[in-house]
Amino acid sequence: MAGITLTDVHAAHGVNGVSLSVGEDELLTVLGPSGAGKTTLLRLIAGLAPVTRGTIHIGGRDVTALRPGLRNVSMVFQSYALFPHLSVADNIAFGLIVKDVPRAVIRERVAAAAASVGCEQLLARKPSQLSGGERQRVALARALVREPDVFLLDEPMSNLDIELRVETRAEIKALHQRAGGTMVHVTHDQTEALVLGDRVAVMRDGAIEQIGSPEEIWRQPATTFVARFVGSPAMNLLPGDGPVRPRDLFPEPGWLIGFRAEAVLLGHTGDPLGTVTRVDVVGEDSYVYLSVSGSPVVARVRTSEKPRIGAAIRVGVRREDVHLFDAATGRRT
Amino acid sequence: MKRSPWLMLAPYVFGLVALVLVPFAVTVVLAFTEYDLINPPVWVGWANFTELFDDPIFRMALGNSLWFAAIAVPLRLLIALGLALLLHRRSWFVGSARTAAALPAAVPEIAYGLLWLWLFNPVHGPINQLLAGPSALLGRTPPAWLTLPNDARAGIIIMSLFTVGEMFVILVAARQALPRDVYELAAIEDATGWDIFRRITLPLMAPALGLLLVRDTIMSFQLSFTPALVVTNGGPPPYATTYLSLFVYRNAFEYLRYGFAAAATLVMLALTVVAVLLQVRLLRRARL
Amino acid sequence: MRGRFAGSARSLGALFVVVVFAPPLLLLLSGSLHRPGEPPKPTPDVIPDPLSTEGYALAFEWGGLLRATLNSVVVAAIAVPLSVLVASAAGFALTQIPRRIRNAVVGASVIGLMVPATALLVPKFAMFRWLNLTDTLAPLIAPALVGASPLYVLAFYLAFRAVPQDLYDACLIEDLSPAQTWWRVAMPQVRPVTSAVAALSFVLTWSNFLDPLVFVYDRDLFTLPLALRSLATLDPTNFPVFLAGAVLATVPAIIVYALAQRRFLK
Repeated sequence: MAGITLTDVHAAHGVNGVSLSVGEDELLTVLGPSGAGKTTLLRLIAGLAPVTRGTIHIGGRDVTALRPGLRNVSMVFQSYALFPHLSVADNIAFGLIVKDVPRAVIRERVAAAAASVGCEQLLARKPSQLSGGERQRVALARALVREPDVFLLDEPMSNLDIELRVETRAEIKALHQRAGGTMVHVTHDQTEALVLGDRVAVMRDGAIEQIGSPEEIWRQPATTFVARFVGSPAMNLLPGDGPVRPRDLFPEPGWLIGFRAEAVLLGHTGDPLGTVTRVDVVGEDSYVYLSVSGSPVVARVRTSEKPRIGAAIRVGVRREDVHLFDAATGRRT
Repeated sequence: MKRSPWLMLAPYVFGLVALVLVPFAVTVVLAFTEYDLINPPVWVGWANFTELFDDPIFRMALGNSLWFAAIAVPLRLLIALGLALLLHRRSWFVGSARTAAALPAAVPEIAYGLLWLWLFNPVHGPINQLLAGPSALLGRTPPAWLTLPNDARAGIIIMSLFTVGEMFVILVAARQALPRDVYELAAIEDATGWDIFRRITLPLMAPALGLLLVRDTIMSFQLSFTPALVVTNGGPPPYATTYLSLFVYRNAFEYLRYGFAAAATLVMLALTVVAVLLQVRLLRRARL
Repeated sequence: MRGRFAGSARSLGALFVVVVFAPPLLLLLSGSLHRPGEPPKPTPDVIPDPLSTEGYALAFEWGGLLRATLNSVVVAAIAVPLSVLVASAAGFALTQIPRRIRNAVVGASVIGLMVPATALLVPKFAMFRWLNLTDTLAPLIAPALVGASPLYVLAFYLAFRAVPQDLYDACLIEDLSPAQTWWRVAMPQVRPVTSAVAALSFVLTWSNFLDPLVFVYDRDLFTLPLALRSLATLDPTNFPVFLAGAVLATVPAIIVYALAQRRFLK
């Protein structure tokens, strides 16, 4: 049995009291802005950074004090950390070679790992002769070959261009479904986090803001931070007694109401008037930035229906599309 | 397994302690004793130092060393800098010039000394054979490198000017490491050569130059040892090329006065420290 | 226009540098090829007439250069690899230990760099004598324990520090010990530094004159520099003989240094 359990983990570099557990065969993505402590969290699990308080269990075993090599984890680094002086085959085999695994076994397992990420034709090359995507595959193969309890992936796609990222995303997901294992994948890309993760943990300032299925994160953001960080453009957040609110909602003082751009209703009589200040065309859809009595609101419209800048439009929102937050704590009410 | 970085560091730390730090500490203690390696050291307090400063030979050596450092070190640095600025870019002859400038530093000290022993020889040496004609025309005698005090001192300094290879190589690397766009910007601003040198190249290379200046000053006490021993043998009288290092060597290993030699060593070290501190201070002020 | 002019001025300057800096070494060679015992010529003869290698033969015969070369080779063969090992291991260890201790070691290394060798001769001599190691080759190999020079340890330290931390982390995950990481991963990343340190420590060891001068008295243990000195004191006017010896001592150092320099100024 694998799986990871963190209990109230603190560390020097901005991790303050993280508790979470990742199930066997679960892929958890950790999402957050840079500086949120995502990578540190990964390094704590790997044992590359010391825990100052709390415990870490892997597969039910307390590994808090164990050195990295004894935790049976493998890690794909953001830089991939391939050894420049070794061939791809030797890079993949590295962990087995230093453990004196018999040559024949190594060859077999390297071939299998390379095949599972589709880099078997690269085995004789040096890392300097590979493209970014190829390097990433090799790094994945190196992580796979040892058959570890836990895979840790630190922004493995941040160095790839967008097209390749989408492709690799699908491959990693397929790989996880095929190979299983506990996987923790750190990213600052919300699409990647939502698409890839069985569950998503959103981090901010060294603590977890919310952990849940991608759908929960999207549909029921636990805090204003999650609400605004996940989704593009960021969710509209207005004071509860502000100009735009559902007609059948009577918020208490100190509430914030949030709604996404696609939930905004335009041109319904009885709603307050807003002025169009900017229009961003993004293909079929356009984002319309409005000022409603001084409050900024962004709405999504079909590009064919986009208004002119300076136009006055009525702005409204439905009750069921609204998230309510306590302004003082930022938490969902 | 946790111990292995310490094991890897151990030989070096042992070497550092046994071959540098302990001998250094022992030198400090020995300076206050009378010691001849046979009888145990006798504590004499400051006697060695008072004797040192009453010793005309020591004062001579002190002056020689200071003059040597004051003349040779700046000249060496200037030559190395000039060579580096001239030879940092490719052009015809630059490759050969780099080799020619770098190689003399690789010649073993003793071989280099013997070479100049011949070059300076008044009768057999090619320098004076070459200078004989022009000197006669001017109605002067050619320099007597090995017999006249000032000619000998000049000779030792001239010897030191050819061995700037190491500094030269470091400065070329430093110059090549300077960002190109700064110079392109200067070209767009139509800055002239001197301005570029004064306002861009010099400040950017200042750290490397400062480091080399400090290092060469420290090394200057050693630099003069072999030439003085081999070429001029500390002479010509009166002790014209007896430098501090040679003075220490003679007192310790020829006259077996180890305590006295250690005291002279301490003076040499104190001078080094003072010179280095002065330079660091000057450099810091120059950068403000 | 301006570029071309600057280029030709540079070439002219470079030519001047060659004219000034090449003669000492060329004269060394030319001097060694004179016939020993010739009366002095009134004008310098750069190309000796007659060209003679008699100096070399006499240098070997009088100076015991064969024996001395052998000693020098023995010292270099032990000291150079040892220096590289000690310096690289220590440089790597410095990246692995707590900062306070590292700073102390780096500080001590800098002191080691600042203290002139002549300042340490007396206590080192006393120490080696007490250990009964004077008149052996051991004191000549001993500097390898500080990596020939603390400078090389610092050079390795900087080079290892410049290797991406992720590579070291990857080794930790694979459960390599620091020694394994050093040998299998770190060393291959710093090959240029290794070859430069090997070359420079060779030159330093090969040319070492002060240490043998102080620690070695037995003629059979003379290294090349020391044998050269006694050759020169034997007959200071017979310059082709000691210049021939000087050429022999110089050639290996120059070849190694030139190779290293070419690599460094790439």
